[in-house]
Amino acid sequence: MSAAFHEPTTIAEAVAILATEPDVCCLAGGQSLVAALNTRSFAAPTLVSLQRIEELRGLRRGADGSVTVGAMTTHRDVARADCFQAGQEIVPQAAAHIAHPAVRTMGTIGGSICHADPAADYPGVLAACGATVTLVNARGQRELAASDFFVDFLTTAVEPDEMVTAITFPPMPEGTRGIYEKFCRSEGDFATVSVALILGMHDGRCAFARVALGGCGPTPVRAPEAETRLIGSRLDDDDISSASNLLCSRAAPQSDVRGSAEYRLMLVPRLLVRALDRARRRP
Amino acid sequence: MSADIPIKLSVNGEDRNIFVTPTRTLLETLREDLDLTGTKCGCNQGVCGSCTVFCDGLPIRACLALAVTMRGREIVTIEGAHPGDMLSVVQQAFVDAGAVQCGFCIPGMIVSATALLQETQTPSDHDIREALSGNLCRCTGYAKIVAAVSLAARRLNGTVGGAT
Repeated sequence: MSAAFHEPTTIAEAVAILATEPDVCCLAGGQSLVAALNTRSFAAPTLVSLQRIEELRGLRRGADGSVTVGAMTTHRDVARADCFQAGQEIVPQAAAHIAHPAVRTMGTIGGSICHADPAADYPGVLAACGATVTLVNARGQRELAASDFFVDFLTTAVEPDEMVTAITFPPMPEGTRGIYEKFCRSEGDFATVSVALILGMHDGRCAFARVALGGCGPTPVRAPEAETRLIGSRLDDDDISSASNLLCSRAAPQSDVRGSAEYRLMLVPRLLVRALDRARRRP
Repeated sequence: MSADIPIKLSVNGEDRNIFVTPTRTLLETLREDLDLTGTKCGCNQGVCGSCTVFCDGLPIRACLALAVTMRGREIVTIEGAHPGDMLSVVQQAFVDAGAVQCGFCIPGMIVSATALLQETQTPSDHDIREALSGNLCRCTGYAKIVAAVSLAARRLNGTVGGAT
């Protein structure tokens, strides 16, 4: 019932296998893929484990203030990293909320975003940060914006012969704060709804705002008009309420075990208020 | 059908040479190939935590790790989580606090609790509950488990006696 197994030690070796073998699947940390294999509900593909490719691990801060995270960097390592600055601290904050310690030991950022569960923690954060994803195949490499990477429910723009090698988070304006507000039924579950917020204030007015929702549609939800509505305002109740309405009009949540579509839409304004409060309260 | 792959696993300090199919999980290998049945199979989906073991000193889900990827890693199961025939401080605290009912979740609880206490000397009840949030117990209601971990922490710090 199981096919072949490859364990390359370089990216070049890995993409050579992806280019030639039919029905191959990359194995990252395995925290979603192995769970799926354990259901025995489909024939196992040929697995290409990326776990021995050292060049896919680690975080690097660029001279421009961007942070590049290797695709095989674990949630544990991202959660403990200290190279994220203004606004980008939302990334380790979200990583610390993924599942449980034992899952964070093995689970990776590349694996998580390639699985593209819209209720997962990273997709909304990548969207809010305007992160780019680096994809490589045997012929070369390309960069995709998060908004182009997440295509549909559990579906990304990764071609069958491609693999994700890194995610780059650009620098955010000085003084901005990143807040990840997650609402879930119990600690460690997927989000019912999550809000990823990066906020900058100047003289009591909002000077910078990026918001993305998780769990509110097949891909992370962004609403530039909601951000425009917040910027320049004093973030009064009216401002937040209007921005929430604009966000909700872009959201298309499904009803599932974590909550009905209607309930999710009710959560959006409440979570946005919490996120904005936290962003303004934090030192 | 592919041929089984030979691998050398280090389990509880011993090298074990076995053959595995690519999709055989570490959990299946531990229980069925190596007869280490202390590690339990609950959900086989990474949710219940009863298969939690140490890999290179950190807790992982044995059901979500393919055995074939574990070559060269140091695996420690509940059978190796204590010195010789003695119970570990954490295990003894679970006994003394009456934290065990049916016991099915306990091997995973011990591993997660031990991992917490390796990183945090004086965990609050909140820290303990968060660290064990990925380990489900259907008997106890968790209160005595949290008390046991707190007791183990205090014994390890030397603030109460009774450590083994």
